[in-house]
Amino acid sequence: MNKHIIKSLSAVALGLSLNLVSVPAFAENFLLGEHTPLSGKLARVGTGSHRGILSAVKVLNEKYNGQHSFEVKTIDDESSPAKAVSAVEKLVSQGVIAFTGGYSSGIIGPASEAAHKANRVYITFGGVAGPLSKRGHEGFFRINNTAGYGKAIIGLISDMGLKKVSILYSNKEATVKTAEFVEKGLTEGGVTIIKHEFDGHTKDFKSIINKVKLQDKSEAILMVGYETDYIGILRAAKLLKPKVKAMIGIWSLATGKMATEFPTLMENVYGTSMLPFPVAFTTSEQKVFHTAYTAEFDNEPSYLEQFGYVQTLLLGEAIIAAHSKGEVNLKTISEELRKTDQMTLAGRVRFDENGDNPEFVQRVGQHRTGKIEIVWPLSAKTSDKAFPGTPWN
Amino acid sequence: MSNFRIFAPLAIVMYIIVPFLFSGNDYLMGMIATALIIAGIALAWALLGNLGGMVSFGHAAFFGVGAYTSAVLTMDYNVPVFLAMIIAGFGASLASVFMMPALRLHGPYFALAILAYAHIFMILATEMTSITGGAAGLLSIPNLPVFMGFDFGTKLGGYIVILNIVSLALVVYHLIRRSTYGLALKAMHDSELATRIVGVPATQLKAIMLVVSAFITGCVGAFNAHFINFLDPEYAFSGEWTVIPIVAAIFGGYRTLSGPVLGALFIYLADQLVFKSLLPQGHQLILGALLGGMILLSPSGLLPIITNMFKRFSKKGDAQHVES
Repeated sequence: MNKHIIKSLSAVALGLSLNLVSVPAFAENFLLGEHTPLSGKLARVGTGSHRGILSAVKVLNEKYNGQHSFEVKTIDDESSPAKAVSAVEKLVSQGVIAFTGGYSSGIIGPASEAAHKANRVYITFGGVAGPLSKRGHEGFFRINNTAGYGKAIIGLISDMGLKKVSILYSNKEATVKTAEFVEKGLTEGGVTIIKHEFDGHTKDFKSIINKVKLQDKSEAILMVGYETDYIGILRAAKLLKPKVKAMIGIWSLATGKMATEFPTLMENVYGTSMLPFPVAFTTSEQKVFHTAYTAEFDNEPSYLEQFGYVQTLLLGEAIIAAHSKGEVNLKTISEELRKTDQMTLAGRVRFDENGDNPEFVQRVGQHRTGKIEIVWPLSAKTSDKAFPGTPWN
Repeated sequence: MSNFRIFAPLAIVMYIIVPFLFSGNDYLMGMIATALIIAGIALAWALLGNLGGMVSFGHAAFFGVGAYTSAVLTMDYNVPVFLAMIIAGFGASLASVFMMPALRLHGPYFALAILAYAHIFMILATEMTSITGGAAGLLSIPNLPVFMGFDFGTKLGGYIVILNIVSLALVVYHLIRRSTYGLALKAMHDSELATRIVGVPATQLKAIMLVVSAFITGCVGAFNAHFINFLDPEYAFSGEWTVIPIVAAIFGGYRTLSGPVLGALFIYLADQLVFKSLLPQGHQLILGALLGGMILLSPSGLLPIITNMFKRFSKKGDAQHVES
């Protein structure tokens, strides 16, 4: 009997020493929360972000298969701040340990406030308004910011050698700040800027385009707004045909959905994008994302999906790191996130004391016959820019 | 059916049963408080419509002005939150004074004029960046305070505050309706010309109703600012703060006293707790169908249906009592 026990113990000891027996000591299911606009005026961008998040959860589950698992609970915030707050409260009551998601600074503000009150980490890419990261919330993180978008646009326009640019911008916080940032950067470079602010509800842009055409006589139009603004501006410009060399936008423009739904309106238009569309994934990390994404969805991912993916992946890794040290809570996850410094699909990510990513710089893509080519910076370009070029010329 | 027989059970449910059952569930308390926010606006809207005979599409203006007044007073001038909320009511009333030229208009013309005023206030809030924070809005607006040892900044505390605001609004509405002013307003409803001939100052009375309605809506807006801790012009002056309360008031029965409150509680809670679970995207379709059905089957709203049910039930009870 004793011999038998000794033999068995020896076999287990040998197995352990050879790493043949793997026993996950604290296998755990980590529940993440997501509120995102799946309906309402932000549904398009919210859906993109949501799909990226689901892809990240899939990748995390495959990576930690047999050790830990991740699950995400999602609530549609209907593009409403009050419903986003309710969603956060409901998800907290269901036991989520951290939040990933959200779109629009006006929604992320109160929702992340609710997450802060509930002592939960909140990571996003959907809100670039400055005050969001100045509230002293230990658990608030975002992988992008206004400056990163602005730097890309300044770089592109400087490369184009333009001397006069009209900026059409929505009167929202993020758009106003971005327009100011770009104006400052370009003015310092000797470019003349003429700004035209428009109300977020504006539908008809013909009068502004007429001003640009007859009064400003600029070489390019920079649009700082959102999807419906871009569509309105481009429709008006296509009708009035101002003599500009380029139509440039910022976020929510160089996306697969815009390319497929408005191919003629988007032709030659520039917008920020980390990767081309359809995506040519080359690195192993990109391939992992693409495989996970296309396994679930039958379209090609754009930057919205990529950013949603990156933020969730970073959060997941931070949770795993915190768990390996014994405790998963606001403090430990935040500490691990602050240690992040790595290259991702969204470029280099490192968080400062406010949870902002000072390394963030966007890239610029150009719509070309239903595709998006990266044209700036030179180091990342997939094609030369079609310049001069507009949807009507 | 007497008001007491409706209000007594409603008050017991809202003041005793709801806190007793759900005080531990922040999510649910938050939902009910949000429904009461809509109820407060619906009540103020119904007061103006029912007593003043004016259909307003611009209550979002009063809501937004109240919200900003209270937020700015507490953030920039350190005014205590509850005091700021009352001042916010007066702020919204002041805003309504600017709308008074519209009182000369009737029906859809008044509705459109007041809608335009609401838009003007939203633009002002956007442009007055130094006071309102402009399009960026205001973040981290102070919570409701701890008062006499009780933390009103919790979901339960917020619920109690908004419940009291709605209850006080109901009392004010009831008192106005019972007063000679209420009688004059009712008469104006039937024939404004006739009441003017007998010496009723119709425009003056309508102006008072507008001010009272704006005060209630302003206080509710102020509460919301401290409840959600955030404001931006698009949110504070959103058309939703007008449309959903109108839907709630009509659904509940806007000619009744408690119809708007019941309507708001029903449509918001049914939509968010039941329909949204059944149909996460597109749940508004169910609500729309329900509202359409309600208008067709009972144009007076939900409350008359409930009242009739009670009447039938009590008649049956009386009949059984006589038989026995």
